[in-house]
Amino acid sequence: MENDSHGMMWVFAGLNLIFLCCAGGLFFFLIFESYPIFKLHGFDFWLGQDWWVGETYGALPMLYGSTLVTALACLLVLPVSLAVAIFTSEFLTSTSRRCVKAVLELLAGVPGIVYGLLGVSFLSLWIKDVFGLLDGNTLATAGCLLAIMILPTVLTLSEDAMRAVPAEYRDNALGLGLSKWQTATAVVLPQALPGIMGAVLLGISRAMGETIAVMLVVGSLDRIPDPWFNIFSSAQTIPSKLGREAAESIGEGTHWSALMALGLTLFIIVLLINFIGNRFLKRRSIS
Amino acid sequence: MFRVLLFLWVAIGVIPFPVSADHSPKIKIVGSTTVLPIASRAAERFEKFQRVEKFKSSHRLRILVNAGGSGVGIHSVAKGRSDIGMASREISPSERKRFEGSHLKVHTVAVDAVACVISSEIYNAGIHDLTRQEIRDIYLGKIRNWKEVGGPDRKIVVVDKERHRGTRHVFMNFIFGNPTAKTPGTILVTGSNNEEQTKIAQSDSAIGMLSYAWINDEVRAIGIRDKKNIVNPTRETIRKGDYPIVRNLSFITAGEPSEEVKAFLEFLKGPEGQQVVEESGYIPFI
Repeated sequence: MENDSHGMMWVFAGLNLIFLCCAGGLFFFLIFESYPIFKLHGFDFWLGQDWWVGETYGALPMLYGSTLVTALACLLVLPVSLAVAIFTSEFLTSTSRRCVKAVLELLAGVPGIVYGLLGVSFLSLWIKDVFGLLDGNTLATAGCLLAIMILPTVLTLSEDAMRAVPAEYRDNALGLGLSKWQTATAVVLPQALPGIMGAVLLGISRAMGETIAVMLVVGSLDRIPDPWFNIFSSAQTIPSKLGREAAESIGEGTHWSALMALGLTLFIIVLLINFIGNRFLKRRSIS
Repeated sequence: MFRVLLFLWVAIGVIPFPVSADHSPKIKIVGSTTVLPIASRAAERFEKFQRVEKFKSSHRLRILVNAGGSGVGIHSVAKGRSDIGMASREISPSERKRFEGSHLKVHTVAVDAVACVISSEIYNAGIHDLTRQEIRDIYLGKIRNWKEVGGPDRKIVVVDKERHRGTRHVFMNFIFGNPTAKTPGTILVTGSNNEEQTKIAQSDSAIGMLSYAWINDEVRAIGIRDKKNIVNPTRETIRKGDYPIVRNLSFITAGEPSEEVKAFLEFLKGPEGQQVVEESGYIPFI
């Protein structure tokens, strides 16, 4: 009996090691592959605004596009997901709650290309008409589309976090004479905040990495909008750039190295966001 | 017992299954979305053809066709990731140099034109032709409104293509004399012909570049004006060589092609293949 479970432990440990190696290996692969471009351009790679294959590689427009699109998606998702999560978790009967959850989880599994095609056929045209734009393929369109894409994930996880707050908290709060609304916002919500933060971070990671849906609606123009806060102009994100150019350069050369450096940049950004998120969560739970 | 099962389950997940090998010969074709309709139609026809004619043996040839663009086609055939690359432009000198060891060979099967296209709304408002200089200024961002070239008072949505695309090489080579010209006037960048066609059709004031076979009622081709002389892209002007932006559509192989690849290329150059070219909207290469 003892030996048996020992054997299992080694298998699990081995699997664990494989995953660690994968993550670490990917990181070092990206560093290794992107080394030539950093040797050529140094840190100017991140500050350069021009990307001309064969001449110069500057990642700032892509970096900017990715950041802005993700921020926009977050901004749109947060209020909606909080509102719906509170309502679903605290005010719905358990049957209707299960229905809502089932639909949300179904939506969370829809592949990006489906959202992308819907974005091209409808969303970009609506945005063009509603805001009276020259063209509907803009940062704002990509942000909206991403918001719609990550909403189900963020929502269902936030709702889980709120449900996970023990029932005694609610009972006590209600027993002290707080209204249902006050209980939800002043007692349950603060307790669930770390979980909600986690949900949002997961959403951000997905939004950052989404390729095809963004590629179809963002306009793919490697330029920082003028003025910089003009979200109604075309731009480019890191995954979209990779999606458009990787196939022609696979495996070697400066162009490939520059694309890998973009990948590395994205990797580091997501890593940083998760790291900051974790710190934030830790501090909250201590206090 | 439960532990043993659990162990097996985990083990199965870790051991890669030997993928069942498929021994029937395959041809992989990758590249230009302009050439793609020819390739996929011809592949279908060829599979039927060889079932009747040759290769009566049990193994059936299968042909897989994928998009990506001319640059991708040339790159992937040179690197051995596909058997045939499709290209709607010449192999550039830098590609020639880069893939010197691959011994790329070009098999031209059709002739096509790159048309300057505009949204139907602008066409109906009276713009039927532009000069080379006007198109150049539009792509440089010097002309930003249709009224500057005699159209309605509407801003121009300048649609460009990814830089490695064959259509862009040919078009920019004509307009700027440089296949990789920089175009600061660009508002949108698209990839495949389908994508560009859709975006121009969705817009009501766009200009772009498209293969002749992709022109329709929503996306109208305009003539190229030189002084008083206007040449529209039509089958006649393309065949005669009057229309200035023509190009060859080619299949590219690396080194000595296999029997199957040779048979397919022969089929394309033969009467049935040229019929396919015609059906796809291009002009047969004689």
